[in-house]
Amino acid sequence: MSEQEPAAVDGALYVEIQRFLFREAALLDRREYEAWLALTTEDIQYCVTAAVSRDAGANPVHYSIIDETLVGLKSRIDQISNPKLTRAENPPSMTRRVVSNIEAFHTKLPSEFSATSYLLAYRSRPSAPEGGFYVAERQDLLRKSGSDWRLARRSVRLDHLMLFDGALSTLL
Amino acid sequence: MAARNSASENNGWVDVRRGLVSRDIFVSDEIFQLEMERIFDRTWIFLAHETEIPAAGDFVVRSLGSAPVIVVRDGDGTVHVLLNSCRHRGAKVCRPDSGNVRNFVCPYHGWTYERSGRLMTTTFDRHIPKDFDFSEHGLVHVPRVEVHKGLIFGSWNADVVTLNEYLGEIAWYIDPFLSRSPQGMEVLAPPHRWRARTNWKVGALNFVGDSQHILTTHVGPLTLDPVRAARAGFATAAENSFQVVTDQGHGCTLTYLAPGLTEEAYQTHAPDLEPLYSKILQGDQRQLLNRLRVIVGTIFPNLSFIETQVGPAQKAVIVRQWRPISGTEMEILSWVLAEKEASADYKSTVLRNGFHNFGAAGVFEQDDLELWASATYASNNAIAKQFPYSFHTALPYIDAPEKDHKWPGRAFKPADTEVAQLEFMRYWDRCMKAAHNP
Repeated sequence: MSEQEPAAVDGALYVEIQRFLFREAALLDRREYEAWLALTTEDIQYCVTAAVSRDAGANPVHYSIIDETLVGLKSRIDQISNPKLTRAENPPSMTRRVVSNIEAFHTKLPSEFSATSYLLAYRSRPSAPEGGFYVAERQDLLRKSGSDWRLARRSVRLDHLMLFDGALSTLL
Repeated sequence: MAARNSASENNGWVDVRRGLVSRDIFVSDEIFQLEMERIFDRTWIFLAHETEIPAAGDFVVRSLGSAPVIVVRDGDGTVHVLLNSCRHRGAKVCRPDSGNVRNFVCPYHGWTYERSGRLMTTTFDRHIPKDFDFSEHGLVHVPRVEVHKGLIFGSWNADVVTLNEYLGEIAWYIDPFLSRSPQGMEVLAPPHRWRARTNWKVGALNFVGDSQHILTTHVGPLTLDPVRAARAGFATAAENSFQVVTDQGHGCTLTYLAPGLTEEAYQTHAPDLEPLYSKILQGDQRQLLNRLRVIVGTIFPNLSFIETQVGPAQKAVIVRQWRPISGTEMEILSWVLAEKEASADYKSTVLRNGFHNFGAAGVFEQDDLELWASATYASNNAIAKQFPYSFHTALPYIDAPEKDHKWPGRAFKPADTEVAQLEFMRYWDRCMKAAHNP
């Protein structure tokens, strides 16, 4: 028997998920990293991939450029949030995350929801003041406990064969 | 013609005696073009690791100097390197980054080539003149291709010395990181690729021996990892750390654990892999790995490597290429390697932790790249160019290599001077003088 199509989330629950995604994007744009980290679960898995250009018929290849659990994620945040510990983010990048095309689905667990979103993350920095965009699809796993929402898994699939303007020093 | 700033004049770019290097060579597009001719089209350039193309037909697309090339494995195991441009009207015959092919079929008009580059058909052979020689219209072959411990190099210069001669004494230092177990090393994932607004030599110099930037540029990761910070402090001062300079501009910096640090507390290589090393490496070359904290080096011109601790008993070998794009821009390609014999768990951990530190989003990399871009930006103006870069801390040491150094190459102590960097620039300068042919 084929797997059942995951049921789409709608109504008030969908709005809650959308609100959560907008809120955490705003926290990152404001560089309120501690508050953002408080929205993640203890078992968070955070992964960013870039792509290899392949023939249309061949298996697509995505490779990780960030693959963290809470420890690694915390250490990245400790670095970029402390002006004394970062060169790349002091002065900080100006960022603006536009989150759209949100689709949310129920999972086997009543407390967990999967959400797909498109991300356009603009970044301007002193070494590249005219700025540029990271473009990605994100697949998130969100965990709900009462009215409390947390990010349990995030997979950011960048639509980039080659990153621009140096190394990525922000979260997506 | 204005001669004063003419690149071909080669007028005092590198002043080894005074420890000064022109800023112009780190920003000028004119000098970049000359580098393409005099360095990148003449010498050996790294292209790929053999384990990226293990099977017949596997290919990756790379650059050799400013030319796009295909690195492909043929049915008999031979690696061919071919100009990725159809002999008919120039289209790329191979447009993805990697894949597997039987033949190369040009998507423009259909000229079809074997993996060896030989032209099979133009698809309009019936209109081709009788005296058309198919054997002379294959894909352009890179005339020299050689492999060293899994690293595939190519050269556009048919008369270049052998790769062995070219690597010379540096091979002794890099081999323990490229081949130290019976099955050898493998790349664990496709290379990270990112663009940086800086000159390729900035990266090459950083890796050949820039111990002085570590505690300032990388204050973040060093502070956040107290064990690493303690080690950096102790080890930099350690008596047995040194820089090595060999012929052809290659160099590396070896930093050893200070004698006060116990092996147990600072376990370096994986205990289940270490016994394998003794099967491949003998004597001093095996000794080189003992208590090694980090080795970082550059093979002239634009191949660098680092072996660094990425966790308890985890060592990531990172191979890195600085691909020139212009005077002020490069692409960086970065691979993580581990022993083929290592467990799948170990490989995935080393890969993940390796690029956590060094890669397109590496916690070390992000700070380097921002500062390199700022140096390039701030140097790219007529006023700044009047004031050459300083390599002064090389001067008290550069004429005094260690007399009792028993390993290959010339060694310099302490490890935190700019000797290896200035020697890299000295060799660069020699290559840029028209007559020099490596």
